Amino acid sequence: MRRVGEILETVVVVAIILVLVHTFLDDFAVIAGWGVRARSWLIWAGLGFDLFFTMEFFTRLYVALSNRQGTTYFFRERGWVDFLASIPLLLLNSLPHALALLAGAGLLSGLGSFLNVLKVIKAVRIARILRLLRVVKLFRGIRYARSPMAQGHVSSITTIAVSILVLWMLTASILETAGIIPGLEGPFSQGQAARAASITEAGPGAPGLTQKAAAIASLDRTILAVRPQGGAVVWSRYSASYYAENFLAGDYGYLLAGGVEVFLDERPLAVAAAREGLVFFIAVMLTMLAFLFIYAPRFALQISDPIHVMNRGMSENEYNLEVHIPPEHVADDVFELAALYNSVYLPLKDRLGSQGGAPAPALKIDDLRDLAEGK
Amino acid sequence: MRAVQTIPDPVNRFASRLLGTPALRQLSALQKEEQAMAVLRTNGAQLLPVFLSLGLDVSRGWREPAALVSRAIRAEADAMMASEVADLLSTRLSFSFFPGLAGGRQAPERAREELRALIARAAAHPVSRNALSGSLVIVRSDIIEKYIPQAWVRKKYIYVEISRVQRLTISAADLSDLTRFVVLVRPAAYLFVTPGETVEKDTGYTPLQEQYIQKILPGIASQAPSLPGALLNLGLRSSIGFTATGGLEATARMGAIMAMRGRALSPSLVVDRGADSPDKSWFNVQRRNARWHALDGRMLDELYTIAAENGW
Repeated sequence: MRRVGEILETVVVVAIILVLVHTFLDDFAVIAGWGVRARSWLIWAGLGFDLFFTMEFFTRLYVALSNRQGTTYFFRERGWVDFLASIPLLLLNSLPHALALLAGAGLLSGLGSFLNVLKVIKAVRIARILRLLRVVKLFRGIRYARSPMAQGHVSSITTIAVSILVLWMLTASILETAGIIPGLEGPFSQGQAARAASITEAGPGAPGLTQKAAAIASLDRTILAVRPQGGAVVWSRYSASYYAENFLAGDYGYLLAGGVEVFLDERPLAVAAAREGLVFFIAVMLTMLAFLFIYAPRFALQISDPIHVMNRGMSENEYNLEVHIPPEHVADDVFELAALYNSVYLPLKDRLGSQGGAPAPALKIDDLRDLAEGK
Repeated sequence: MRAVQTIPDPVNRFASRLLGTPALRQLSALQKEEQAMAVLRTNGAQLLPVFLSLGLDVSRGWREPAALVSRAIRAEADAMMASEVADLLSTRLSFSFFPGLAGGRQAPERAREELRALIARAAAHPVSRNALSGSLVIVRSDIIEKYIPQAWVRKKYIYVEISRVQRLTISAADLSDLTRFVVLVRPAAYLFVTPGETVEKDTGYTPLQEQYIQKILPGIASQAPSLPGALLNLGLRSSIGFTATGGLEATARMGAIMAMRGRALSPSLVVDRGADSPDKSWFNVQRRNARWHALDGRMLDELYTIAAENGW
């Protein structure tokens, strides 16, 4: 049973590492202009990861509740991180995207009304920021410090730092979407709407709609196609196959006015959002790496290592190594204690000899049992 | 009178396997024996199934079978030690110091054999066997070769005490050889100490009196006629406690420190991150306990400095 648990924990750690790679690729794919096929795979993989972590959360919650440890799991063992990094992402991010993909909204010939749903998808895109919380989950799965105290301490401080970063990014994105603080989307959309309006103002029956659309579109490369409402396309920048290969649901904007439908290219906005996402991702990763590779070794050097040496010296009779006291930390409380250990405890232990504690022989009883059986 | 029980073959084989176990690979024969005896002593009752599987009678408890296993372990350790000592005497001791201390004459052929016999005699006595353990460990290690040349280059307390006060005109390599000799002769000083006079840990390391050494010297010298009495005396005197006014030779003081270091030396010790090196730690603790153990504090200071400077 314990072995199964260890295997599952390893699977979770591997999944976390993979999902971090996925998080990076998800934004990178937008910036690099990857095609529909590759980005579709990323959407399905994202759905798979979100389902996996949702199942993981419910499994952990179930086990905790079975042991009457629900509150402990949720608050002390960071179940809230498991929750925020799974269910909201599944419901607000990966599932809507996957449904949009299934509905075939990638084709320009699809239903214009469905494109309104995509505005909802864009609005909840900010929920993606919560994915970065998964970085914190790594600290539970990977054993990076010998001392449980060091592991627990560094995990806590990383959780605090990463959570504050992520929650502030989330809040800022919500405020930006709500228009309380200025963002990129407002001016971009307003410009697009003004140019689209100059196309639609003539109405669907106007004889020069095609020419007008072409003239305005030559000034604004984000205008993709124009058609009378429910009618055939009168002007399009690309062929239908190009749209099918390069445009996903979230890449379109849509405007209906005066009986004319205008399809707009939202990819520049998506690229800006992806860049922002990558900046957040790198900031969070750097924060984590800084704690892991700079802070954790310092904590070990200054706190847990000297305590470990003193603990061994006090519990093992034959362990008589002194604590190494770095000159720059002589005044630290831990090293003041270590100085006493070196100068008082160890000499006394040496004088008292075998009365100092339990011996730690190299041989164990099991060795003798195995030898007697001729193993 | 009760006859001594013969050790059954399975027990002998068990003892052989036990001392040959990988967990003890890095230890000397006597350290292996100490480890095995410690397990028997502290876990005897839990080892009844082991004794049973060896075909021993456990109807009267664990002590009798444990004693039989102890005898087998000791016999096995004796055999291992004999080959270990022969190897040490041929590879680690060259008697290069002999001409400088014996009026220019080379060490006689029999000197090595007589020293081996003296060590064998020490190994047969419970107190000197304990003293021998540390001596063999330190001679097996490279600690003496590491520290003496350093002390020679520094030309401080140790150098001055040996070359000026003791007036030994000797190279660092010869002094290392002499120190190994002193350390190997030292256990013979405890040949006439009654077991149980000191606490177990200090057996073989308790400082002896000068008069006592002078009393036993002729008897020991008669068993090793090829070895000059002055040389044997240096080895035996390394068991005398140091006092600032005692006039104890520097080589004897160095021998005493090295024998003590051998007692505490654990080749398998893993140095944890955050801990000082084993030598630096040990010399620092002994500097504080120098008077307690009757060792030369200033010599320990210098050895500590050498350890600290070299990261030993």
